[in-house]
Amino acid sequence: MNAFQDILIFVVVAPGFIFAVFALLWLLDWVPSERLLSWITGLTFATCTSGVAALVWKIRSASNITVTFGSWFAVGNYHFPLVLMVDRLSVPFVALAALSSGLIGQFSATYLHRESGFLRFFLLLHLFAFGSLLAFAAGSFDLLAAGWEIVGITSVLLIGFFQRRPAPVENGLYVFGIYRACDIGLLVGIFAMHHWAGTASFDSGFPTLTGARAVVVCLLLLLAASGKAAQVPFSGWLPRAMEGPTPSSAIFYGAISIHAGAYLLLRAQPLLAQSVLASSLVILIGAATAIHGTIVGRASADAKTSLAYATLTQVGIVFIEIGLGWRWLAVAHILGNATVRTMQYLRASSMLHDYHQMHSAIGGQPSPTGKQIEDLLPEKVQLWLYRWALDRGHLDTIIERWVIAPLSQLSAYLSRQDRTRAPSPTTIRHGRAVQVSTAGPAQRNN
Amino acid sequence: MSVPGWVLRTSFLTSASIAAPWLAAVVVTGFRRQVRVLGCIATLLSIMASTALVWRAPNGESLYETLMLLFSCLTLGAILLFPRRDSEAGTIAGILILLGSTLLAYSTGNLLVLLGAWILSIVPFLWAGRFRSRKWRPLVGLLSSSVAFALAIGLIVASTGVISIPNLKGHNPGGVVAFGLLVIAVVFRKGICPTHAWVADAAESGPLVPTALLLNGHFGALLVAKLIVPLFPQTDHLFPVLSYLAIATALFVAIRALAENSPRRLLAFLALSQSACILSGLESRTAEGIAGALVHWFVVTVSTVGLFGILRLLEVRFGENLSASRHLGLAEHAPRLAVSFAILGLALVGLPGTLGFCSQDLLIHGTLTSHPLTGLLLPIATAINALSFFRLFTRLFLGKRRTGFTIPADALPRERWVLAATVLFVVFGGLFPNAIVIRHSAEAVVLDEAIHTSEILKRVTTHQGNASCLQCPATE
Repeated sequence: MNAFQDILIFVVVAPGFIFAVFALLWLLDWVPSERLLSWITGLTFATCTSGVAALVWKIRSASNITVTFGSWFAVGNYHFPLVLMVDRLSVPFVALAALSSGLIGQFSATYLHRESGFLRFFLLLHLFAFGSLLAFAAGSFDLLAAGWEIVGITSVLLIGFFQRRPAPVENGLYVFGIYRACDIGLLVGIFAMHHWAGTASFDSGFPTLTGARAVVVCLLLLLAASGKAAQVPFSGWLPRAMEGPTPSSAIFYGAISIHAGAYLLLRAQPLLAQSVLASSLVILIGAATAIHGTIVGRASADAKTSLAYATLTQVGIVFIEIGLGWRWLAVAHILGNATVRTMQYLRASSMLHDYHQMHSAIGGQPSPTGKQIEDLLPEKVQLWLYRWALDRGHLDTIIERWVIAPLSQLSAYLSRQDRTRAPSPTTIRHGRAVQVSTAGPAQRNN
Repeated sequence: MSVPGWVLRTSFLTSASIAAPWLAAVVVTGFRRQVRVLGCIATLLSIMASTALVWRAPNGESLYETLMLLFSCLTLGAILLFPRRDSEAGTIAGILILLGSTLLAYSTGNLLVLLGAWILSIVPFLWAGRFRSRKWRPLVGLLSSSVAFALAIGLIVASTGVISIPNLKGHNPGGVVAFGLLVIAVVFRKGICPTHAWVADAAESGPLVPTALLLNGHFGALLVAKLIVPLFPQTDHLFPVLSYLAIATALFVAIRALAENSPRRLLAFLALSQSACILSGLESRTAEGIAGALVHWFVVTVSTVGLFGILRLLEVRFGENLSASRHLGLAEHAPRLAVSFAILGLALVGLPGTLGFCSQDLLIHGTLTSHPLTGLLLPIATAINALSFFRLFTRLFLGKRRTGFTIPADALPRERWVLAATVLFVVFGGLFPNAIVIRHSAEAVVLDEAIHTSEILKRVTTHQGNASCLQCPATE
């Protein structure tokens, strides 16, 4: 094993190790100071970023750097390959993940100063960095799925970061539901690769699939990618995800998580290129998302949601580029978009503060400048579009009416068949009363 | 100092592991003091004997020994986790009886002893005292399964005169009727649809942790692995029916759980849905499916006992009317309980980095290979279960902090050790799964070969027209 392989292992494992150590110490009742935590975070990601710089330097002369650990587990003819690999496609994403995690860590040390969930945020940041680095540096779709799921769960937990308010918690639940539903595509797609091609590894060439099998796998991966990248019709979760703290919004929905879907499609490009149907669908979804994003974003009332839709528009365009086979343009677009959006998200809070100061100074709103493109449309169309945008393209309504409501009704029907009753409000109120009054005896009995 | 040879004999170790809890149950019932200490000593003895059995078992033939060790450890954990108000002599004696009978069922190769263990395991739940559910369905479910199993055993013994399971392998004893009765026993005991309701009723109105232990004996899966698969090669065309039923149960119960607000019932549905996957994996006839089922058996057992235990601790601290219909904000009072709950629950639904991810991966591959269309329902069921679990977690632990508490409500030191052990098991098992998967892959290959050998035997006997020679040892 050469030095670059060691560096690759370090870059991927270091955030996960820090997460594990601090989590264990917390379980043992030790809480690190904010200063120590931010210092270690800075050191970890600075070292990771330096390591990635070395990997980038090496990749200039080598096609890829691969570390094979063998199988994570194996049964019969099936094995879960444990292979880390960076090549020219993945190394920009690895660099982006390491660099932006470090920057967000430094930013958050000030932004979340004296916040009650300071340690929780940093633990989840490290876990997220580990998941994303694992997904980007995976040498097989199996390992990519593992990192992908970790990114998903940390994303959801950070949306519900302000746990005392019900809205972020409920929004986190909604996002979790969308993620899990779409991840079925990834799991079944990986199974299909194993079943038809005998492997899901891409460290030594892509799994060979042709015809209908290639189309099926592409469509399954597209489902997973669309869910993660908030593409139409799953875009409704993105504004809900803005409930999390701004630094996490920046790294998840400005930089890494939102582009993970595009990375998956870029990884599957050799397969995608074989299927006109799948490529066309990618373009169609991307175009629909771009249009949806730009229209809805114009009617968004808050800064973070506007930025989210701006990101969504660009990711939609990235999907179009991938569908057209413009692979490197897509990578450059992702890097540019991620960098700009991260900066905009982080600047959003202070920018609003600056605006307020400016308004105070000039004694009112500044006069509007420039013209909007929608002014070119007839007024009726403008109004219709405005209503459409206010309801965010009715996407949430569609999902709630056609997926959530039927499932809930079916579940309620089955519940009635079991002849059970949900607890009545009286019971709940009683429960709350009991909670307070039984605290003493509970402690005595325990 | 050398250990006497008779101590390490398999028969002695097995007897010791079973007799220790039963003896302790008798002592606890009579003595009625220091019941937790007595229970711990008995389960520790079972653990030591089971460990020696696992150590002595040849590679690929240690499934039941490993399960004995797991169940003994779980019982020890449950006894330590019990809140003081639940640690009464009757309760501890009940779960010690359950432990002994479960170990007996795992270890025996005799039909009548298996039947005895099966019945004995439900005896504590027939008592009208602390164990019995206040609803009728658990009683009917458990008794129906026992009656069906007793009839099947009676039919097998009457038609063959043989009570040794190894001697019956591949001989289709009792024919389709015995097979059908065994399937009915499995359906009732595991709560396969449409008999699923008793499991939720038992969890809701019975004692929570003992019910979790009863469910996690997985007698239904044991029956499939020990009797149905190896004994009935002639009815192998009916095996998929069991798989379809299991997959349908996994999905049906997962959907049913979506509207459930009672944490006890919700957890019971999750446990039921996830444990139904074990049956589909066992029936998948692929090495990865069977290995996945065996590993999943471990995951479901450890996770659900931990989850039920945490829920009971919450009930003791915050009142028994907990509901998932609103946010209760308990995480700020009990952060370690919250984290343990989250990790165990996410392991149950296959979070990467936990053993659940490996078992789900293997299960999905195995089931999709054998049943490409119905197998698709398995990841869907798991996804719905994940959503239900996350809903339960957010409702119980997140939300506005409750006021009025001045007491520490987080895990006590003894509870912390138990929860840390369960969490470390699922996490380290997930990070380094080969230690567990390789052991079970060998067993899966043995089971897989048993199935395929049964198929070969079936073809041969079809040609020769003689399938009932019980004097010849079965091919394994």
